[in-house]
Amino acid sequence: MKTRALMNPMSLVLLLALLLAGCSDDNRETGFAGLAGLGQQQSRPFLQPGPGDRLNFPADFGPHPGYRIEWWYLTANLHTRDGRPLGLQWTQFRQGLMPRDADEPPPPASLWPLQAAWMAHGAVSFNGKHYFEEKLARGDLGQAGASAQPLQVWLDDWQLEEQADGRWRLQVRGDNWSYRLWMTLEGDPVPHGDHGFSAKSASGEGSMYFSLVNIAITGQVQVNGETLEVRGRGWFDREWSSRFLKSGQQGWDWFALHLDSGDKVMVFRLRDQDGTFQSGTWVSAGGGVVALAGEDFRLEPVSTRGAVPVRWRLQIPGYGVDLGIEAPVGDYRNPGLYPYWESPVAVSGSHTGEGYMELTGYQSD
Amino acid sequence: MNLLSALFSHYRRHPLQLLALALLIVLATMLWSSVSQLTAQARDSLGQSERVLGGYRQLVRSDGQALAVSDFVVLRRAGICVMPWLEVEAAAGPGRVIGVDPLAAACFGAFGQSPVTGTLDGKPFMDISQAAELVGEDNPGELTLLVPDRPLTRSLPPGYRTAAFESGPDTGELGRSFLLNLDALSLLVLLITALLLRSVYLLGQAQRAESFALLYRFGVAPVRIQLLRALELILLAALCILPGIWLGRLLAGVLGEGFARALDNLFDVPLYAGQGQNGWSPALVMVAVVSLACLGDLLPRPAAVVTGARKYWLASGLLVSGLVLAPVAASLTMAFLAVALVFAGTGLLMPGVVSAIARWRAGRESEPLVSWRYSELGVLARRLALPLVALQFALAMVLAVQALVAVFEATFDQWLSRRLAAEYFLEVPPGADSHKAVTWLQTHGDLLAPDDWYLLARGQARLPAGDTATDGTADLLVLDPLVTMITRWQLLEQTDKPWHRLHRGDGLMVNEQLARRRGTGVGDRLPVEIAGHTLTLPVLAVYPDYGRPAAEVLVSRASVPAGFRPSFESFAINPGADGIRSIVAALQQVWGGVEPELRDNRRVRELADRVFHQTFVLTRTLALVTLILAAAALLMMGWVFLSGRIWYYRLLVVWGLSQRQALAQLARLALMLTCTVAVLALPLGIWLTWVLVACINPLAFGWSLPMAVYPGFWLELGGLSLLVGAGIAVLMARQLGRPVLIPASASAQDGGAR
Repeated sequence: MKTRALMNPMSLVLLLALLLAGCSDDNRETGFAGLAGLGQQQSRPFLQPGPGDRLNFPADFGPHPGYRIEWWYLTANLHTRDGRPLGLQWTQFRQGLMPRDADEPPPPASLWPLQAAWMAHGAVSFNGKHYFEEKLARGDLGQAGASAQPLQVWLDDWQLEEQADGRWRLQVRGDNWSYRLWMTLEGDPVPHGDHGFSAKSASGEGSMYFSLVNIAITGQVQVNGETLEVRGRGWFDREWSSRFLKSGQQGWDWFALHLDSGDKVMVFRLRDQDGTFQSGTWVSAGGGVVALAGEDFRLEPVSTRGAVPVRWRLQIPGYGVDLGIEAPVGDYRNPGLYPYWESPVAVSGSHTGEGYMELTGYQSD
Repeated sequence: MNLLSALFSHYRRHPLQLLALALLIVLATMLWSSVSQLTAQARDSLGQSERVLGGYRQLVRSDGQALAVSDFVVLRRAGICVMPWLEVEAAAGPGRVIGVDPLAAACFGAFGQSPVTGTLDGKPFMDISQAAELVGEDNPGELTLLVPDRPLTRSLPPGYRTAAFESGPDTGELGRSFLLNLDALSLLVLLITALLLRSVYLLGQAQRAESFALLYRFGVAPVRIQLLRALELILLAALCILPGIWLGRLLAGVLGEGFARALDNLFDVPLYAGQGQNGWSPALVMVAVVSLACLGDLLPRPAAVVTGARKYWLASGLLVSGLVLAPVAASLTMAFLAVALVFAGTGLLMPGVVSAIARWRAGRESEPLVSWRYSELGVLARRLALPLVALQFALAMVLAVQALVAVFEATFDQWLSRRLAAEYFLEVPPGADSHKAVTWLQTHGDLLAPDDWYLLARGQARLPAGDTATDGTADLLVLDPLVTMITRWQLLEQTDKPWHRLHRGDGLMVNEQLARRRGTGVGDRLPVEIAGHTLTLPVLAVYPDYGRPAAEVLVSRASVPAGFRPSFESFAINPGADGIRSIVAALQQVWGGVEPELRDNRRVRELADRVFHQTFVLTRTLALVTLILAAAALLMMGWVFLSGRIWYYRLLVVWGLSQRQALAQLARLALMLTCTVAVLALPLGIWLTWVLVACINPLAFGWSLPMAVYPGFWLELGGLSLLVGAGIAVLMARQLGRPVLIPASASAQDGGAR
């Protein structure tokens, strides 16, 4: 991982250290630099999700200040009018530094409180090129935040907002690119794992996790001054927890696939020295949701580009699935403080389709 | 009794001497470390300011209101990369801390270096939430919103505009000159305390000479004795330097607030907390000074040591060199070198000259007692050379500092009175048309007399002659109409009817800074480029312009090309009682409802007065403490030394004088001694005053001050000298009444120094 000056604000953010860094020290619970003291003044612990926890809509679209980390995450496989594929990512993270009850008022903004830090990532993958930008903010000022009803998630001028007609609108502007999308949600939220509790290790630590797997998207994307009308489908994740990676876990590989059969599949695996912990969810075209245990599927890299495995094989024998998953030509690393790979993928084999792949913790990240 | 206890038994017998040594080291360390800390802190703050000022601008509200968190949010939500910068007085110690939001600073990475460097430890940066906790009624804090100094990629929301993030012209030069002066002053203080230290230490060593001889006879090698002496001194220094540094920090803390305000208000240089805090450097300097002052004799002596008559020739040479060098010194370093040469020459000459004059007078006196007094004065001048020189230096320094401060204050006050002759300044709002207001004022003479207002516009002019000293640019000041308030300005040089000719556009005026740097005087023709047009006009006058280094050209509206766009415009207004509200309201209407910013010049004057007081608190404190030190050291030295010769003074009684008469002789002797020093300090102090106002000030600031002397203060210093002399006499009176069996070693070691 690239080392930067202490004052680089990204070093404050544990979130990506937890999720993306793949480092193996034990300070992931408390591993703040710079403002560590501020982050450790809490008199009460963060909440920990557990197997008995349940999802609660629409409240769970909003923030969970009692938990340490959470994010709102959209990937989209779009196509221009002339049929060229275009991938999009937007993610907004909240990193709690002090836990707070959901109904507890925040401290006055005039005190510039630092009970939470926010981070947003936006990326466009088009024509073999990858455009990325990162934004950071402290919470409780109004500069960044989220609300459940109507849904609003924002940081600076990037904003996801529920419209009066129920559609979502997402606006993101990077240095030389931007996009404005309208999203129509199709289908109910899909809970992962045990009614939304998604285990992340054999010993039971995990997160609350659900997805909107079928989102129809239209909109405009501007890249290098060119305006593109786009259309396609998206995948939206909501996830929150207070502790994810266990000590020794190095990173993760995550896939969300739209199969042309209408089926959807999400699989991930967490890597450590002794092996992997993997899990997933199968969403049939009819809407049936089945949690996939580790032994229900095989996921393995086939070939790499540098240190990054860009071709994979996914086998789910129970559903007759044997897929080749491949990233397009290009470099899709998100070069934030904690770089990671985020690329659209094409699916071949027993089924065809498309989707997104996120890989963290590889040396050349 | 072992060797060590035998060696150190001297201080058991003379605990006051040990105390004096310790006090001198502690006080010298305190003074040096406090000034070092403040100047180092200020220098780092200057560097900090320059780093920040380099690549950033600030966003301000168009309505002139102070910024708040909500403004930051509005701007960020509009996609502007803006970072909060909250300056607030530190909770402990002098200086400000800077609260920053490192998360908001992330977007600055795309534009180069973040303005925030270092760690968030309060030196001076801290997280903005911690800085916000310090904000209170007494410590309001100042929020600035920074943007990279390059075109914005997003449009600003209505109600905001960008402005330069700067604190004044050539900040660094002004501030650094001020600090250099402080450094020079503290070096002088260090020199004086080193002299005092050496004199007290050598006195003690003279008294211990017989003890050393005894130890030698008992078989202790001289080298070992010297090593133990060195060890003893280093141990004493170590014990005293640490509390000295601690006291220095306390003193810096006490003086720091005024020092910080002076820097901030006078030079627009903020003093940031946590800068330049290096406790080791003053400690090392003090160890070196103590060692050199006290143990210099143990070092191998250079082959060619100048003594006797050659010493006085050398001293005269140094003195003359300094006197010649000072008026022609082209840099501050040369000016300080000249001061050092004159002080060195004076210090070497003074004891010998006093002694020679005293001997000469003694030889010419027929009255035995008078002759005896002069003769004894000659002895004392040589034997107490170091503390006398120290007192002379301290008196001269105090005299010069007092004169500088007084003349500076008086001159600046007079100048400011004329510059701020108007009661109010009314700033033309950005985008507003000043001509509309001029027309309105010209047609409303009933509300405001024609002689009671003028328009002041500021801009930039180029000096196309390729002058490197002024960097080819000068501030441009345009005044119109030329009312009495302006024509009362003091001019340093002028032609006939300069204001009349300026009004007609027949010439221009320049400030002293520009005149000095370019060597331009009245009558010279100066080419000036304004708004792309070059005017070559004669210089009609040179005017004083204190408190800043920038070159400035003054022209009337008649000379300004039509394309000139001022960067700032303000009306100076003298409305009389209750008139200002109606004028402000009328001009607000003229400008379409935009309220102009009003500045009450009485407040400016009050602020200036406070600034001056604060500016010189440190200088005066340094001078005063040094004077007290020198006076106390001389008192002690005189007492100890004269006590050592008490057996000799008893001879006065043996010769037939009564106890009272003998004491009167001693009192007169002591008073003669200290008064001689005061008299000798006078020319040195006057010369130093002249160097400060006429040589160092123009070099440091670009402007000179008139020379002035303050005989009343001389008398005060003379009174202090008399007090020291009287103090010695009182102490002697007690000694004279006590029996003395043997001559004390201090005077006995060379046979009574006759």
